[in-house]
Amino acid sequence: MSDAVPPLLMEGVSLTLPSTAGPVEILRALDLRVEGGERVAVTGPSGSGKSSLIAVAAGLERPTAGRVEVFGQDLGRLDEDGRARLRRGRVSLVFQSFHLLPNMTAEENVAAPLEIAGARNAEPTAREWLDRVGLSARLKHYPHQLSGGEQQRVALARALAGRPVLLFADEPTGNLDADNAAHVADLMLDLVCETGAALVLVTHDAALAARADRTLTMQGGRIAP
Amino acid sequence: MTGLALRFAGRELRSGVKGFRIFLACLALGVAAIAAAGSTAEAFRRGLASQAGEILGGDMALMVQQRRFTPAERKAIESKGKVSWAVSARGMAEAPGGLRRLVELRGVSETYPLAGKVDLEGAANLTEALRPDPDGVMGAAVERSLLDRLGMKLGDRFLVGNVPLIARAVLLQEPDRLSRGFALGPRVLTRLDTVAGGGFLEPGLPFGETARLALPASKSPKAVTTELRKLMPKSAVRIRDRDDAAPGIGRLIDQLEYFLGFIGLASLVAGGLGVFGAVSAYLDAKRPTIAVLKALGGDGVLVRDIYLLQIGLLALVGVTIGLVLGAAAPLVLGALVRDELPVPALFALYPWPLIKAGAFGLLSAAAFSLLPLARARATSPASLFRRDLRGGLPLGLETLGAVLAGLGLAGLAVATAPTPLAASIMIAGVAVAFGLLWALGLAGAWAAGRARGLTSGPLRMGLANLAGPASAARTAAPAIGLGVALLSAVVLIQSSLLRQVSEVAPRTAPALVFTEVPGDRVAAFDAVVARAFGAKLTGDIYLRAPFVTGRIIRVRGVAVKRDQIREGDRWAYDNDISMSAIGPEPDQPNIVSGRWWPADYAGPPLVALDVQAAEGARLKVGDAVTLSILGREIEARVAVRRKVDFGGFGATFPVVLTPSALAGADLRHVAIAKATKAQEAAVIRALGTDFPEVNVISVREQLEAATDLFDRLALAIRGAAGVAALAGLFVLAGAIAARAQARTREAAILKALGASRAQILTAYVLEYGAVGVIAGAAGVALGYAAAWPVVVLVFQAQWSVDWGGVVALVGGAALLAALGGLLASLQALSRRPAAALRAE
Repeated sequence: MSDAVPPLLMEGVSLTLPSTAGPVEILRALDLRVEGGERVAVTGPSGSGKSSLIAVAAGLERPTAGRVEVFGQDLGRLDEDGRARLRRGRVSLVFQSFHLLPNMTAEENVAAPLEIAGARNAEPTAREWLDRVGLSARLKHYPHQLSGGEQQRVALARALAGRPVLLFADEPTGNLDADNAAHVADLMLDLVCETGAALVLVTHDAALAARADRTLTMQGGRIAP
Repeated sequence: MTGLALRFAGRELRSGVKGFRIFLACLALGVAAIAAAGSTAEAFRRGLASQAGEILGGDMALMVQQRRFTPAERKAIESKGKVSWAVSARGMAEAPGGLRRLVELRGVSETYPLAGKVDLEGAANLTEALRPDPDGVMGAAVERSLLDRLGMKLGDRFLVGNVPLIARAVLLQEPDRLSRGFALGPRVLTRLDTVAGGGFLEPGLPFGETARLALPASKSPKAVTTELRKLMPKSAVRIRDRDDAAPGIGRLIDQLEYFLGFIGLASLVAGGLGVFGAVSAYLDAKRPTIAVLKALGGDGVLVRDIYLLQIGLLALVGVTIGLVLGAAAPLVLGALVRDELPVPALFALYPWPLIKAGAFGLLSAAAFSLLPLARARATSPASLFRRDLRGGLPLGLETLGAVLAGLGLAGLAVATAPTPLAASIMIAGVAVAFGLLWALGLAGAWAAGRARGLTSGPLRMGLANLAGPASAARTAAPAIGLGVALLSAVVLIQSSLLRQVSEVAPRTAPALVFTEVPGDRVAAFDAVVARAFGAKLTGDIYLRAPFVTGRIIRVRGVAVKRDQIREGDRWAYDNDISMSAIGPEPDQPNIVSGRWWPADYAGPPLVALDVQAAEGARLKVGDAVTLSILGREIEARVAVRRKVDFGGFGATFPVVLTPSALAGADLRHVAIAKATKAQEAAVIRALGTDFPEVNVISVREQLEAATDLFDRLALAIRGAAGVAALAGLFVLAGAIAARAQARTREAAILKALGASRAQILTAYVLEYGAVGVIAGAAGVALGYAAAWPVVVLVFQAQWSVDWGGVVALVGGAALLAALGGLLASLQALSRRPAAALRAE
């Protein structure tokens, strides 16, 4: 274990959510440390808390208990806007259902986080990254004009264009056919390697998980020993 | 606001404004109504101002009542410019065949009119119309209604009192008619000397004289007024100038503008729910986008700015559409009906009413848009993982802005109203009604949720939708209810007042009023009336009493100061009021405090006062009042305070003195009678022989005219109130549109589960029909609550409910809403279930 500040540190993190049938414990006293450039795969059955782990780690959700540090900053001390600012340019997400902005073209979608971070060369960078994911012919296409595999490649370009230090990917190939899934997975791992970003990858795909440096299995809101 | 927000907002708007059609319609409707009301009122104001000289008949008008100008006053007035003189009186006109009726008689000098011109038919000009015949009988211009009523034609001779005249021309229009106001009978215009010589201008008779002045260009009316006041310091002369040419009409226009503007404001409030619904639906649909923006590092300010820019831009579009419609409507209307308008109007584009309407529109958009925006700003990025996560309502700048905009809306409405107190009450009423309707909508949704367990089939489906998160009971019901409340208030007020003038008043009020009955021949007069009626004159059909006009000049020994009198009661102290002297206690005296004097009382003067007049100056039994009557000052003690029913049959004098107080005065009498139409005709004819000087006013005729006028006004006002109901329908359409996609999916699932089209259709019709019934019933109840005090307390009329109208309103609301449900279901059923389910 390195002495350097890790991109992600989670200690004793719990998440309990209300529901009509009573509170549901999603995460239970979970500990996780991800080092710079490390690729961590998280697997486990549906409902074991994998996606919630990403939501809490990326600062999209506040934990009920415990401590989450991103680049040494305690997320608990930041309000929602503060957490959003912390993500700018350094933390990225790729979702199973892509979550592209429907009213923006592929180019605009990739440029959006760069623009939010105040980057000057957002559009050329976006074009460059779309070219890298093989979509230079689809720059002006809207999400509904793209196939699932293409949408996920746009999402990947959007996630990596800002050269993040920490990338969360939640079932990035879950909605794709086998060919597209393999293509997107290769692309993601190659680009992560190239940018040196740390990766937290939630997946059901054992082969994909095997390509990570470390694989964690979740069970009932805990990381199985 | 950053360029980034602007860029992102632009990208969002590229996909169109489909979800904002209701938003635009609701804003445009309210703004158009306010702008149209303001522009029309301004057109009338400018029209009046541009023709102020003609309306007044000169640059200035000076008036005296119950007397003529003194030689000194004449000299002073004539020293200021060219003058035309006119006297006005009332008299009975009699046709050669014996038919008689009351006329408004006007005598004018050769210099009349100084401004404008008299429109005549049958004569080239006024000089020709009024010239005497070779045998000295003067010509007259008369209104056509007099010719019709007396069966005369031009060229016929007739009498007014004992003065013979020739009807030589039909009087179509006089330039100064608007400034003179209400007339009890057709107008007859002749020369001043003829009226003066006919005995119409004797002391005690109801007449007045007016001098109209044309000033040299170098003189201002205000300066001349000051000079004249100095020249005749003690004269009770009323002076008006062009700025004040038709004050009654000016007030009427102010009130009408406010009433119509208020309806526009109510439409904006009702439509506000449409704005709220449209913005909420739009931002709800944008939740994934907002969450993604936040996940990408966008903060709440960026999110707020992106959507604030879009909503602000669309609000500007909606307001602009409203302003264009509101500015154009009076221009179109003016072009169509210009010649039929009773008041001059200058239809044009006036900026101030449009600025005001625009401000109302923008404030309303802010008040109803900022709360959904606040909730959107609070959207959690975690909703990308959990779709059920909704932003709460944070207390931030947006919430504060919404509250301030709401207060601004109310404040602007009060600040621009002619009577702020009435405006405050009306706005508070709308706010309370809106709150109640909203609470009722929530309660309706809750009750539907409870009741659905007891039902099955389509009814259960309908109730489930009514109870659900996107229930129309919470959005459309309050908006429709507010429209129905306004409409029902108008319908109920109108039906009560109409019934008052068409049924109640003819039953309770006298049919005839006789004035100028000579005091020394009252027994002979009674005999003529009894003979004509063919009946004994009993107290329940005939009453006669001495009559005089006078003024209350001192209260408890102190001169009356206008501003110390309660505003609503100043009528009793501002003007000469009717008074009588009665010994025995009248039937139904309605005494509030004190005791009536003995019939043969001969002590110091006592007075019975109308309780409202007494309250105006806080007069109690035993207090002293000084009255000015026939040039004498009479000090009397208040013996009785009583409630006078001015519209009823009885001694309806606000001031009644003990007979000894007016002993020795040669008083004329007034009499009132209930009569059939035949008795009315008989008595008018009979009095022509023995009492030509007695004026007979037909109350029946006045009530018929009032009913007619009221009917025409009510139709226009009902139409205006319908605007608010239209806003409610827009909101209903918005609620239906917002759920269209969900309903299509729902219908597909229901079909997949085996539901028939008829079952789905029934469920939706039941759901929306219930919304209509809730809105209609609550609206009528609120309209009832608003109308009752207006009818009973303000107009003091009998309350009567137009049940037909009430049923029509509730039924109409339910029917229209159910129709909305039918359309919604047809739309939902139009897609094949497989296609709808695949789209998901």
